[in-house]
Amino acid sequence: MNLSFPYRETWLHRVNPTHKLAVSALLFLLVLLTHDPNVMLLLAVAALLPLALFSGHPPLRLLLYASPFLLLFVSSASGMMMFGSGETVWFQYGLIRITEESFYRGLHLGFRSLQVAAVGLAFALTTRPVALFYSLMQQLQLPARYAYSFLAAFNMLPLLAEEFVTLRQALQIRGGRRPRGLRGLYERLRMYAIPLLAQCIRRAHRTAAAMGAKRFASGAGARTFYYRYRLSAADAGYALYVLASTLLAWQLGQHWPLLPVKSVV
Amino acid sequence: MSTAPASGRATRAGNRLTLADILVTIVVSVVFGLVYKIWGPMYDVLKPLGLHAEQLSYGMWFMAGTFAFLLIRKPGVAILAEVAAAAIEAFLGGSWGISTLWYGLFQGLGAELFFALFLYRKAGPIVAVLASVGAAVASIFIDRYYGYIDQLAFWNYALFVSMRLLGSVVIAGLFAWALARALERTGVTSLLRPASAKDYDALDG
Repeated sequence: MNLSFPYRETWLHRVNPTHKLAVSALLFLLVLLTHDPNVMLLLAVAALLPLALFSGHPPLRLLLYASPFLLLFVSSASGMMMFGSGETVWFQYGLIRITEESFYRGLHLGFRSLQVAAVGLAFALTTRPVALFYSLMQQLQLPARYAYSFLAAFNMLPLLAEEFVTLRQALQIRGGRRPRGLRGLYERLRMYAIPLLAQCIRRAHRTAAAMGAKRFASGAGARTFYYRYRLSAADAGYALYVLASTLLAWQLGQHWPLLPVKSVV
Repeated sequence: MSTAPASGRATRAGNRLTLADILVTIVVSVVFGLVYKIWGPMYDVLKPLGLHAEQLSYGMWFMAGTFAFLLIRKPGVAILAEVAAAAIEAFLGGSWGISTLWYGLFQGLGAELFFALFLYRKAGPIVAVLASVGAAVASIFIDRYYGYIDQLAFWNYALFVSMRLLGSVVIAGLFAWALARALERTGVTSLLRPASAKDYDALDG
């Protein structure tokens, strides 16, 4: 993401991309197994810290990227708070029924979404797609056909944007009235989606033919790589941080709870 | 023509994804990955209403799988497309981060299951709808653990599930099928499926 924006490279950028991806994916399973909102709160903090400190992006831009977090927190929490099941009723108005249990479960969901969003944004801001796919080929033996297809597809994004602009200009020049409302929306969607997708498929097919002509798909012989990715000291630091912060969150959350509930299930 | 029918068998044995299949699937998924990313904030704005109006839009996140299968019609395409689109969404800084990869994997599997059930030979609206339901059920399975949705008041839970199923049937099922059929008319799909076994059989007859 944001290849065009300048940023300072930190140790988080030097963590092996496959390692970072695997840890981030496993952290989601950890979240699924966490039912104590105190622990979840600390896990969210543990995920926000590296994002705030080591993303390498300037604070203002970081705040801009993180601006949806608040909305995310509210949107994940509110539904469960108002309509969740529970015994101790705090507030009732029509269909809305806030109970103690549902309130803390809602908060817990808010913390979860913060953690997930922070881990995801930290990954996106500190990992270049090229690095990830090269690393996946080297560390996980991802077949080159898949990895290079992804990289080729990434390179088509600017072309796609250009095509979209061209299409819009063409439609503007041609003018004409389109129906309003839901039907108009569908019409508009159709007018953009079909030419764009058709063009994408044609281009992808041509690219595949060109790659095949250069004997890309033959797969004979061992591949060599322009970029090599290995594990480094940054990986040890990253693994240590995730491990230590997780253990600490579980210990602190259970022994010094901030909220008066132990579990939300 | 005794040589052509042999390739009818051969195409079935060669149901493996070629480089062109993979590349087309992933490029289409990149487009959907962009849509998935844009869809996130919209969903979040609708969500605090609490009555699950946002669930009607959830089906958009299953589209890559069904749509890519309807184009290419080979095993593995639905899973690959869903995972790829989820990966793009994660890369663009989607609100659900890396967890979308898990969702993508499960949703792709849910859709793939139904395509496999018909031995990858059917690509009509019915199988598209079934696949979209498969994807929706898979996503609800993860949400049961992630969102404790089963701990909503019962009426709210039922509303949640039915809205999501309805949304996915309309968007990932019917709309994906209509879009694929419209693309069919542009002729690009002939690049992907130059000639089917049925065409050879027709020559044979």
